[in-house]
Amino acid sequence: MRVGIVSPYSFDVPGGVQLHVRDLAEWLLGHGHEVNVLAPADEDTPLPGYVTGAGRAVPVPYNGSVARLLFGPLTGARVARWVEHGRFDLVHVHEPVSPSLSMLAMWAVEGPLVATFHTSGTRSRALLASRPALQPGLEKISGRIAVSDEARRFVREHIGGDAVVIPNGVYADRFAAAAPRPEWQGNPEAPTLGFLGRIEEPRKGLPVLLDAIPALLQRFPRLRVLVAGPGDPQVALAGRSPAVREACVFLGRVSDEDKARLLRSVDAYVAPNTGGESFGIILVEAMSACAPVVASDLHAFRAVLDDGWAGALFVNEDSRDLAAVLTDLLLAPADRADLARRGAERARRFDWDKVAGEIVNVYETVLEASPLRAGVPVDARPTRWWRGGN
Amino acid sequence: MGVWTWVSIAVAVAAVIAWYLSYTAARLDRLHARVEGSVSALDAQLVRRAETGLELANSGLLDPASSMLLTEACAASLDESDVTEVRSEVQRHGVDRRRARIESELSETLRAVLVPEVVVELADTAQGTEVLRRVQQTAQRVQLAHRFHNDAVHDVQRVRTKPLVRIFRLAGHTLLPEVVDFDDNGPDLTGV
Repeated sequence: MRVGIVSPYSFDVPGGVQLHVRDLAEWLLGHGHEVNVLAPADEDTPLPGYVTGAGRAVPVPYNGSVARLLFGPLTGARVARWVEHGRFDLVHVHEPVSPSLSMLAMWAVEGPLVATFHTSGTRSRALLASRPALQPGLEKISGRIAVSDEARRFVREHIGGDAVVIPNGVYADRFAAAAPRPEWQGNPEAPTLGFLGRIEEPRKGLPVLLDAIPALLQRFPRLRVLVAGPGDPQVALAGRSPAVREACVFLGRVSDEDKARLLRSVDAYVAPNTGGESFGIILVEAMSACAPVVASDLHAFRAVLDDGWAGALFVNEDSRDLAAVLTDLLLAPADRADLARRGAERARRFDWDKVAGEIVNVYETVLEASPLRAGVPVDARPTRWWRGGN
Repeated sequence: MGVWTWVSIAVAVAAVIAWYLSYTAARLDRLHARVEGSVSALDAQLVRRAETGLELANSGLLDPASSMLLTEACAASLDESDVTEVRSEVQRHGVDRRRARIESELSETLRAVLVPEVVVELADTAQGTEVLRRVQQTAQRVQLAHRFHNDAVHDVQRVRTKPLVRIFRLAGHTLLPEVVDFDDNGPDLTGV
């Protein structure tokens, strides 16, 4: 089938939604479907052949951080053109309530429409206030997907109705097949821990991990914490003791390949996020790479880790508990191996072959329910202009 | 203010109301079309699930008692879908209580027949794996179609409770659709 996918965020910034869109598009292309992705992009950014750039995203404060979004009447017209020229069997928008491309696409689409809700964190006040403007667009969605139970609860409470849960996907084999890098591997005396994420963003939880390091250093003086992600290390380390500074190795932003190799190398992967996570794809990536996972006990993480079966949990924002959990784990290689094995098993649930298959099921169900196929002739329906221009 | 000012204000207000009404009528029309589509999709998925169930029952892979239970439940579902079609009311009334009960029973029967031990055994043969795959897919699609239909109904109901929509009878003679309530949980086939 011919599918148009809309990403509200640009591909040059790393993020869960963009990755999901890219992977899904590539899976669909690899399975004989025609796909075009509409995403914000600077004019000079090299894009994969299946992506149409919709213009340059502007940084605006949104939802507690600065997001790069794309909106306005010019963009609206461009989106409408893309929808019209694409002649898609179905359009799939991501994050429909973020004020960016997806919202504009919902406005323009007339045919079958599927939407995936990723976050659970959109401020409900803004949503309530803009409700009358959003509602007609939201009513066009015939199939709603939520990536987690959290996201589904958001849909039920703030949008109304329901959504089916289909998790984010991971190409599990790519992580499992990555080669460890010796300089990132630890040994019983000098274990290594991994952290991935923007280091200046407090809700990614790096400070919680840094607070736990002094206690860990008492037991493992040669411990190293490998921190991968954009941001200024000096800012993150401000006010920390020399011992902690020495234990931290900052790798900066890493390539996809190095990310997989990092996860393959470390003795444990730590996800100390303090909130705002709806899914936690990185946990699945770590599990696919057979890294034992230690994560804060957020709802989303609990769900991915099957309530602690596939990864160790610690009390959110409690660095003492984190240190205790990590110490136990680092002292017991057998437990660590067990955890890694269970993690790898759990990660299979999130493999793209399974996840994308479920998404295609949604597509086909929605196509079958489309009024155009259900015997309502197109000509008998009022024209676009007549129907209020949306 | 002169008479003409008042007249033009009145005209402007009337125009805005008229636009709003026609806009809402069009929106409602689209929503009704969506419900019609979603209910016929649900109908089709239910039929497909029952057919697949029947195929499993007749495959000779199950014990005779399981076969009989499953045949019974699937046949009941198919009979009911035929009746509904004859009455050609699927699109107008959706899935009625009687049919919802029959479909709940089929879901229950599928779960009772396809317990983990049986699934493991079936998954051993190529034919069994293939049938299981189809059972899983049809059960999942019933769930999707069910949920999407109820979402559509929900949206129609919300717009139709608006005062202006009721006063001006924008919905015309279209019946108010109702949500369909039945047990749509499929058997646990995660191991396949």
